[in-house]
Formats: sequence, C-alpha cells, structure tokens
Amino acid sequence: MNRTSVVLLISCMLFQTTFVVKAEPPTSHYLQKIKPVLQSRCWACHGALKKESGLRLDTGASIRDGGDSGPAIDVQDPDLSLLLQRVEATELTERMPPEGEPLTPNEISAIRDWIASGGQSPANERAEVDPHQHWAFLPPVRSPLPPRTSGRHPVDRLITLKLQEYGLKMQPFASPNTQLRRLYLDLIGIPPTAADLQTFLGDKSPDAYEKVVDQLLASPLYGQRWGRHWMDVWRYSDWYGRRMVPDVWNSAPQIWRWRDWIVDSLNADKGYDQMISEMLAGDEIDPTDVTASHATGYLVRNWYALNPNDWMRSNVEYTGKAFLGLTFNCAHCHDHKYDPITQRDYFRFRAFFEPLGLRQDQVAGEPNPDAFQEYEYSVLRKIVRIGAIRVYDKHPDAATYIYLGGDERNRLPNTAPVRPGLPLFLDPTDALIQEVRLPVSAWYPGWQSEIRETNLKIAQQQLRVAEQALLEGESQNEPTRLNLRAQRDAAAARLASTQARLAADQAEHGDVTPKRKEPLAHRAAHLEFQSDLAQLRADVAQAAEQLAVAKALPDTEKDRDKRTTAAQTSWQKANEKLNSAVNSKPQDQANKYTRFSSRFPRTSTGRRRALAQWITSRRNPLTARVAVNHIWARHLHAPLVSTVFDFGRNGQPPTHPRLLDWLAVELQDTGWRMKQIHRKIVTSHAYRMQSLTPHMDETAVALDPDNRWLWRANVGRMEAEVVRDSLLSCANELDSTLGGQELENVDALTTHRRSLYYSCHPELDGKSEFGELFDAAEASECFRRTRSIVPQQALALTNSHFIHRISKRLSEQTWAELVACGRATPNAFVRSIFEQLLTRYPTPQELAVSLAYLKDNAATSDSTSLRASFTRAILNHNDFLAIR
Amino acid sequence: MTRPNSKDPCHGVPRRAILSDLGMGFTGLALGSLLHDDSHGASPSPEQACHFSPKAKSVIWVFLSGGYSHVETFDPKPALNQYAGMTFDKTPFQNPLDSPLHKKRFRSVPAEDINVRDVYPTIYPMQVGWHRQGESGIAMTDWWPHLATCVDELCFVRNMWTTDNDHAAENQIHTGRHRLDEPQPSIGSWANYGLGSLNDNLPKFVVLGGPTRSDTRQSIDSYYLGPQHSGVPLGLDGKRPLPFGSRQQQQSADEQLREYQLIHALNQLSSVEYPTDPDLLARIRAYELAYRMQTAVPDAVDFSQESPHTKSMYGITDEDTRIAGQRLLAARRMVERGVRFVQVFPSSYGVWDSHQKLKDNHTRLCRSVDKPITGLIRDLKQRGLMDDVVVVFCTEFGRTPGLEQRNGGRDGRDHHPHGFTIWLAGAGLKRGYVHGATDELGYHALGDGHYVTDLHATVLHLLGLDNRRLEIPGRKRLDIDRGHVIHEILT
Repeated sequence: MNRTSVVLLISCMLFQTTFVVKAEPPTSHYLQKIKPVLQSRCWACHGALKKESGLRLDTGASIRDGGDSGPAIDVQDPDLSLLLQRVEATELTERMPPEGEPLTPNEISAIRDWIASGGQSPANERAEVDPHQHWAFLPPVRSPLPPRTSGRHPVDRLITLKLQEYGLKMQPFASPNTQLRRLYLDLIGIPPTAADLQTFLGDKSPDAYEKVVDQLLASPLYGQRWGRHWMDVWRYSDWYGRRMVPDVWNSAPQIWRWRDWIVDSLNADKGYDQMISEMLAGDEIDPTDVTASHATGYLVRNWYALNPNDWMRSNVEYTGKAFLGLTFNCAHCHDHKYDPITQRDYFRFRAFFEPLGLRQDQVAGEPNPDAFQEYEYSVLRKIVRIGAIRVYDKHPDAATYIYLGGDERNRLPNTAPVRPGLPLFLDPTDALIQEVRLPVSAWYPGWQSEIRETNLKIAQQQLRVAEQALLEGESQNEPTRLNLRAQRDAAAARLASTQARLAADQAEHGDVTPKRKEPLAHRAAHLEFQSDLAQLRADVAQAAEQLAVAKALPDTEKDRDKRTTAAQTSWQKANEKLNSAVNSKPQDQANKYTRFSSRFPRTSTGRRRALAQWITSRRNPLTARVAVNHIWARHLHAPLVSTVFDFGRNGQPPTHPRLLDWLAVELQDTGWRMKQIHRKIVTSHAYRMQSLTPHMDETAVALDPDNRWLWRANVGRMEAEVVRDSLLSCANELDSTLGGQELENVDALTTHRRSLYYSCHPELDGKSEFGELFDAAEASECFRRTRSIVPQQALALTNSHFIHRISKRLSEQTWAELVACGRATPNAFVRSIFEQLLTRYPTPQELAVSLAYLKDNAATSDSTSLRASFTRAILNHNDFLAIR
Repeated sequence: MTRPNSKDPCHGVPRRAILSDLGMGFTGLALGSLLHDDSHGASPSPEQACHFSPKAKSVIWVFLSGGYSHVETFDPKPALNQYAGMTFDKTPFQNPLDSPLHKKRFRSVPAEDINVRDVYPTIYPMQVGWHRQGESGIAMTDWWPHLATCVDELCFVRNMWTTDNDHAAENQIHTGRHRLDEPQPSIGSWANYGLGSLNDNLPKFVVLGGPTRSDTRQSIDSYYLGPQHSGVPLGLDGKRPLPFGSRQQQQSADEQLREYQLIHALNQLSSVEYPTDPDLLARIRAYELAYRMQTAVPDAVDFSQESPHTKSMYGITDEDTRIAGQRLLAARRMVERGVRFVQVFPSSYGVWDSHQKLKDNHTRLCRSVDKPITGLIRDLKQRGLMDDVVVVFCTEFGRTPGLEQRNGGRDGRDHHPHGFTIWLAGAGLKRGYVHGATDELGYHALGDGHYVTDLHATVLHLLGLDNRRLEIPGRKRLDIDRGHVIHEILT
C-alpha cells in the first residue's frame, strides 16, 4: 500500500485553493485542470478502452471532434456543449459520469472556463495507448544484455543499465557474515549456526558462496520456507466458518494435504507450470496420480458451504490475481474500468469452474471417510480428518449464466448460458477443451490398488484382534465367551465378504474373463449378506453380555433396575434387527454388493485442463512475469512491479522492465524450475551488496532515497514464521519434521514444529499470539506481507514465557559449552551469543556495553539469570529481526 | 484527569520531532506520537491531519450482538398490539411483503435454492409496555427505566436497514459489506488509520468484551489497512489486560528496566551505524512505548481509583449488570485517556437473538445493559466528556414484526434486516431527537433509510474525517461502502 500518495492526496485536498492561473499558455489549464479529471472520471468509457457512443475524451482533439452526437464542446456558446450538459445534468439517467459522485462545481467551472477560452490543447498531444499494447499484455522478450561493464551476471548487467541512467552505481559486497545470514533466512527461514558461519568463513574456495546456495536449495527446509510464501500467494487457509460451534463452512479439514503437496513440490523443484496445472486440474491432467488431486486443494480452499456462487467468485478472483496478475473480480459487476475484460469475459472465465464439486476419498492406510457432506440448512458440517479432499467435475452440464450488478438473482433474462472461454483480449482463439476419459481408479477410488490393500488389511487386522480377544477371554464367563466368539465370527465373515467383494471388483474392472463376472458378484453379495448377519448376531451376543452384566449387579447397586431394563431393551432390539434381516433378503439384489467407495462420473469436462494449459503456455504474457515478480519481491524485499496482483493498466509499471522480462523468459526456458531462478537471483551482486551503511553515498541517497533503482540492498524484516522458527532454531529446539495435519495455535509457543504447520485461517484463532503481532499471513488475501513495528512486538519478545525459556536455555547451553572447553569468561560468552544470534561479533562499543551489563548487575542478580537476560536483550537487538 | 493534547486532537506530532527525541535516553522521553509504521517509515502518515474540524475526539461504539428487537426497545409500535394475530394483508396498511424494498434491500447469504428462511406474516404483539419519556417525549419501552431518565441526551435513528438476514450482519454493520462481498476494514480501523494519537501509551483502537466469537473478528479487523490498525482487545483482568503486557514474575521491576536499558543502549549503538534506517528508529521508539504500556494499560483498567458511587452508577456492584458495567466504565477510562475508538460488547455473542421466549430474553438482557449504559451517559456528562465523545448504541438488525413460527415457535421474532433502530449521543449530535421511522408495523425503514455505512460516515464525520476521502490506492471502495452522513442528526 502506498501511504505516501494517500498523504499527498489528502494534503492536496486540504490546501486546495482557487487561485487563477494567468500568464500561462492556454493549454496548461487544460493539462492541469481538465485532463486529470477526464482521465480519472471519464476515460474508462470514453477512451482507448471503450469509446462509448463513439466519443473519446483522452485528447483535446478527440473532444472537439466529439462522438455519435456531434462535437462534445461548443466554444462559441459553452453552455450548449454536450460535455457540460451531461456533467451538469441532475437526472441520474442523464448525468455523466453515471457512477459515483457528480463532478464538483470547481471541476465543472474549470471545464466551462476551458471551453470559453477556446478549448485548446497541446498540438502534439498523444492519445491514450491502445489497451492491447499495454506492456504486460505483450509477450515477455529476452532482450540482448548490455555490455559486461558490470560483471558477467545478467541480473547485475540489467540493473546497472538502469542505474547508469540515473548516475548511480551498486554498493560493494556486504560482509560475508551478512551475506550468509541473508541467504539462510531467505532460503530456509532460519539463521546460520555458529558452525555454519565458521565453515563458510573457513572455505576459501572461489565458489564457497555458491556451494552454500546449492546446499540450502537442496535442504527440505527450503520447501517449508518457500512453501509458506506460496501459501500466501495461493491463499492457503485451514477450515473455518464457525470454528466455535464447530461448523465447517469454508475450506476443508483435510486441506493440509495441499500444503504438504506445495512443500514437496518445491523441494522436488517441480516446474511452476506443472504446479499451476495440478492445482487447477490435477484430477484431469494426471487422473492416476492421487497426490496431483491433493493439489486441487487450491480450489477446495475457496469452497463455501452456503453459496456455490461465492465459491465460483473466489475461484475466478484468485486465479486471476495469483497466476495472471489480473483483477477479474472488477468485471463481476460491470466491464472492467481499466483492462479490456468484459463482463462476459468474467463469466466465460467462471464457466471453467462451473462443473466443480468436492469429494473426499479414502487414503491408503486409513479407514474410509463417509461421503462428502454437502450443506443442508441447520445441519452442522462435521470436522472430518480422515481421507483426502479434492475437486472433481460433478455437474458436467452445469450452465453459467450472466447476472448483473454482482447479484446472482439478477440473471440476464432470455440469454443462453455462456461457454467457458479465455479473456478475448489476451487470446481470441477458443480454448481447446477436450473431455477427459477417466481411468477406473479415478472415478471409482475404491478400485485403487493401495485402497484395495488397505481395505483387505483392515479386515484382516480386525479378525486378528477378534481372535486374540477370544483367546484371552477363555477364562471369562459364558455370556462374555459367547460374545467374543460371535465377534470373531463376524470379523471372519467380514474378511470373507471383503475378499469376495474385492474379487468381484477384480472381475468387473480387472483382467478376469468377463464370464466369471456374474458368479463372483453373486458370491460377493451372498458373503456380504452373511457378514451382515454375522455382525447382527454379534450385536445380539454383545447385548446379551451387557444384560448378563447388568443382572449380575448386586441388589444394592442403585441403578441396577435401570441398567437391566436398558440392557433388556437393547437385547430385544438387536434380536428384532437380526430376525428382520434373516427374513428380508430380496431376490433381485442377488448380484448387488457394496462398493469400496462412491462411484463418480467417468469423464471430466477437461475445462480446467484447458485453462491450465493456457495459463502455463508460453504465449501467455502474464504468468511467468507474475511469478518471477513474486520470487524477486521475497528475495530483495521489494517487488519489481509493486502491484503484485495487478499487472493491468491500473497497476504500476515495472521499475526494471527488461530485468522482469529476462527473468520471466529464463523461468520459461529452464522448464519453469524455480530453484534456477533463486540461484540466479541470490548469486547476483545486486543481492549480495550492502544495504545501509554508516557512510552512505549521499548523492545516491539524494537521487534515489527509496532505492527504487536498486543501488543498494534493501533491509528486510523476518516474517512472523521466521521470527518464531529462528528463536527455536537458535535454542536448538526447532522440530523440522515435514507435513501432517495442522496444529493448533494455542500450542504454538509450547511446541516446536515449524510455523507453517500451525493453523492459518481468517477467524480469531487463525494466527498464533506471536503471529498476530508479527504480521503473519492474512488467510483471506495476502499477496504481500505487512511489516509493522508496534510496541506489542517488544512486549512479546521481552515478557513471554516463550522468550524467557528460549533465552534461558540458550544462555545455559552456551555457558556450559564454554565451561567444557575452559573458556568460560564473560567476554567469550558475549562473543558467542552475538555469533549465534546475530551471525557476527560485537563491535568494541557493543562488547563494552555488554560486559558492563554483566559486571555492574552481578551484585543484584545471579549470574545465570543475568546471562539469560543478556541473551534476551540480544534477541531483542534490532539486528536479530532485521535482515541487513 | 486532563486529556492530553486536548486543544487540537488531530494535530499529531510531526515525525521529525520524534526522531530528534531519540537522543534523550531511555526513560526521559516526553510523550510524542506513536511511531508504528511499515517499511515506508520515513514518510509522513495520513494520521497527521483531519479533513475538517472535528466535533468529537473519541467514539464509544457499543454493540449488542444477536439483534435486539427494535419494536420492543426504541421503536414501539402500538399497531402490533392492535392487529395482533392478524396477517399483514388483513391490516389497513400496505402489506409490507408486497413492497419492492424487500428485494431491493435484502440479500440472502445461502444460494437462493437452499435458502429456506421463511417470512412470518402473523403479527406478534409487543411484549412490553411503552411510554413517552423526558421533555422530548420520545417513545421507548418500559424495559429501559434508567435510560428513560436521560432520553433527552439521546439521538435515535429509527430507519436503519441492512442487507443480510443472518449473523454475518454483525460483521456487516462494522465493515459495511455483505458476507458475499469482499471484506473491508472495520469502522474502528478506519478511525485508527485516519486519526492521530492522543496518548501514545495506549492503542488508538481498543476492544472490550470482544470480538465475541472467532467468526466476528471481521468487526475489529483492518484488512488492507494493515494489522497495526486492527482493534486491540484488552481484558479487564487487571493482571493481564494485554498479551505479554507484564513482566515474568521471576524478574524484578529493576531487572526488567535494566534489560530494557541494555536493549536501548545496543540499538542506540546500531543507530549510530545506521542513522538512516527508519525501521531501527521505529523499533527503538516501540521499545520505549512498550515499556510504558506495561503500566499504562493496567492503569487504564484499574477501577480501584473509581469511587463506590461511580461503580454503583455503572451497576458494577450488582451481579446482573456487573459485566456490562465494567466494560462501559473501562470504556470511559479509555476515552478519558485519549483512546480514539473503543468498541464495547456488553453482552456475549448472539445473546439478543430471541427467536423464542423473546420476553424472557429481553427482560433479562435489557436489564443487564440499561443501568450501565445510563451510567456511562451520566458519567460522561458530569465529566464534561459529552462534548468530546460520541456514544453509538447499535445491533446488527431488528426483529420481525411477525411471530416466528419455525420449529413450532410461539413467542419470538426472527431476524429482520429491513428496519431497525440505533441511537447515538454526545459531541456534535442533537439531543432528545428522533430521526427517521419504520412503517406502522415496524417493517420497512421509511424513505431512503440508512444503510449501515451511513452510520460510519456520520461517526467519521464527527471525528473530522470524510469517509469519501479515506482511500487506499489500488483498493476499490464502492459508493455503498462510504455511505452518507446523516446530517439531520448533527447540531
């Protein structure tokens, strides 16, 4: 967010005075007072984008020419000017602009004055550029690199090119310590240990730095670190809705499998194109790969129980913003005001997602979850933790209708549904949509071999448990033994039934000759029926045992009667169920047996696959640019295009267009491998140079105080996750285990997993207390992190149990090590703490202040807590949170 | 207590003045302006200036969760008694269900085909008597005996409406957006964003007793304004009103002070090395503030300094009114200390939601709030704070004039977004005044009525802010987000 411009805006309004410009050329009035108003209020409909009623207002000449109704201004009689009449109209149907506030009296009188004075404009005035020629809508081109005056690295050469324009030059390398700390925090999200530092400083080979880069990129910690970045961009959220009830309305309790897929994909350096494709259409692109379907968590996250339209809207909005840098959502209610996206385009885009539904499939090694619970008024949606959640094309014929004003009740009458299609301004060809014929394992997940094995194993295990119980129950009384035997029989029957059902499935979908299909199905149905009966008999036996137990209670037991009666009732009911089952088997069901899962449509529309193919194709001008901009922003603490989710005409232009394009094409050329791009960026001089120094180049500071042109490195700040992970890591407590169901934030300060594994959602407990203070991801939308500095952060880092525990442990460990090697002096302690926490050694002044602290307070505090306090102070040092 | 900077509440201390303070050592700093900013730390913030001369310095926004019945509180409707048991179409009035306003104003969250909420056309009589009160003769029900005695201080708006008929309307009255639309910053966070600080040792936007549930976080959230503008919930437990707000027990006050001094000394050394690093300077400042917040916040919620008379005026001595009383007394202490926006939830989440047993429910709940809110008004008045503070008393929607018959209901009312009543009191507002009305049956807000953002625009206006000018580049705000100032209720 650009707060500076807000301030300017406000001060302009405050100090707006009406002084008359006299001795200036007549066109300056037009340029200063007229054109800006027309640009902000009129051009969206009367400019290069739309030219409604044949009228363009983007140049004086086009205003004078006018549109379908004639010239817009009349210099002879200004009051007859159509332009004036329309902006002054009081009837809302007449008034221009039709939306928002009318023009102010000042603005209108300025227009009148301009017309009266002849309506002049500069002769060489340029018309608004054709929207189709907007930089981001043209394919990125890798232009030739400038000469090697600034080293060999392409990134540096492209940045230097820009710096030279402004008479700036790059700062020298930062110290090796600073570089190493930067690299660790950036690539794996925790600082280097003292040993890491020593190894690096001791490595005199010319590629010492590059070796660390490779080592860090190969670490699984990389996927966790960058996974969190992409979770921001892709809007990861754990389930929410009404957490306090609990009632699942948004996302899903199994969504964490998508998070794990993100981390794993990054660690495997899966191509970015492949990642997008799997997130949008993993089920269509590789229907046999179960993990690819977990990637569709990207779409599951947007799901909203109460209103499918809301789901569709989020799918459109966030696919547009995250992958394409386009604000499609603006075209929900009307044609886009800045970009050539029509409202029809919006709905065509939505149609790609229209057939979607959710399902939850059994996961190997886990029991079968029930079918996905759809929303039903006043029925709570349960938190289901087993199984995997994914999308599928549930309604292949679902129609997409255009509605007006963003309200689905205002469906455009008498119009045919719209077909899925790409935004026409980017791709006038039709998306190639081909239906996907799914393999059996995709439309009948119970047929997947791992699931078949799982179900067989579950039945075998149940039988083993029942047999063991029977064996151990030998000495029990009669009713108990009868029950245990009945349970064993039921488990055996269930195993037999399972095996028969598996065999019947095999006959239907596998390689067994078709003629054996019928008898095997018949057998499966028969054994399943027997198994059901055995289970009912076991229920009777169990009820009988309960009854016996109740009857055996002493008469003194006060609820004996109650329990006996209840057990009697249960026993009777169990018997009734059994009897009715024995007599009930309908003949026409003879071949019907229960499948191992729901069976879904055998085809998928292929719509989302077509969308993914277009987004990831080389002819898409946006995808690669948007991606490298996100990557760059996280390495350098500032993006090249500051409006990271809006590359459209209302967004900001790139500071370094050639660099952006070079990186975008590089990404495409290297098979969309992100590690290559990371390597390219972090090995550049631009990345490795100094940020702020005691003696800044004053000319550079004056020329470019905000470092827009990258003459120095930016200072970063640890994100919330990095703060917590780094504290744990420094205390040698960080548990970097990969993956699994999300953990609760209430435990975030007492347990030690990496921060990305704790719950993240938009409700109240969706951030940890630490996360809340240090700007953890906003689960509803987080393309860029906020970087606040508030007093509560200081309180958390000085007063929490957490920080006291960490500082105590760290100082004690450090002291013990120093004692062990006979170097236990305050001086060595201070140096070691600086080295471990800040990756550097104290300056003489810092050392003096530190030693004085330990010495002067020795009389009033014990040395252990004094060292802990000192350690805590270093954790509160600005250089701990800052990335220099 | 005198309010800091009382002459010119919108004049913040310029940032350069803050930076020059930094050399003064840790404990000796004069109070300046809170410095908490993002990476653009060196740029001035919009908090430095009002759009125009403000009428009020602070707001106490009292929200009653669940939807109190407008017809049984501040908009009594004798016609409901007269036509009790009849359906709307049997009354001499226009059938409110036939009004085009129905579709115009209401929007269901569940998709049309799964939206099963009924309309209830059978008129349910008022469950309480009513009288005209005060010199102004404003009608209100008998469930507010205390408030009735200061009705001449209040300014009612009886033609409010909203668009959601479910409890996401609670977020809607705070953010101005329906559940199906993109969320927006809450009213408190806009005030926080737009206004300078009057007391650096306390947050500008404080929340008491809420948010009441995890899914109502939106009502104090700041979204794209950044988390530093969200409301800060403070507990009234004197020990730990603020997260991490007090030192660990094993550390003495002296030890903690020395530790903060060490941090300060080290960061000062750093600032010699990096004199132009705005984040570093901001962090040094943040530690100074943090140190003082540890006493300022508990002090703000420490009632031991309050007289027994004051406590009893707020009903703190009575179990039924204790909770609301404590929260409202704390609210007064906050505005007294210069907090800009205090959002108070006197009751728990959704408790006013009286689908059944409305009479029992409202008898009890009105009683729990009546004395405390009256205490607040009187207290503000006796301290001269009514000239500085705006009190808003509101809920998310009204309740149906018809009897809710769902699940065999016999004695309650359903949610009603089409018309409801809120009231305001204090600086810049008319006193003993009623603005707007619902129809005879209390169904539709008459005239254009006021969507919830009109309330935002009005409150911000009183604070000297123009809701139309609170713009963040790249963030689209719609006309409906900005609302219109209800000029008729202003002095």
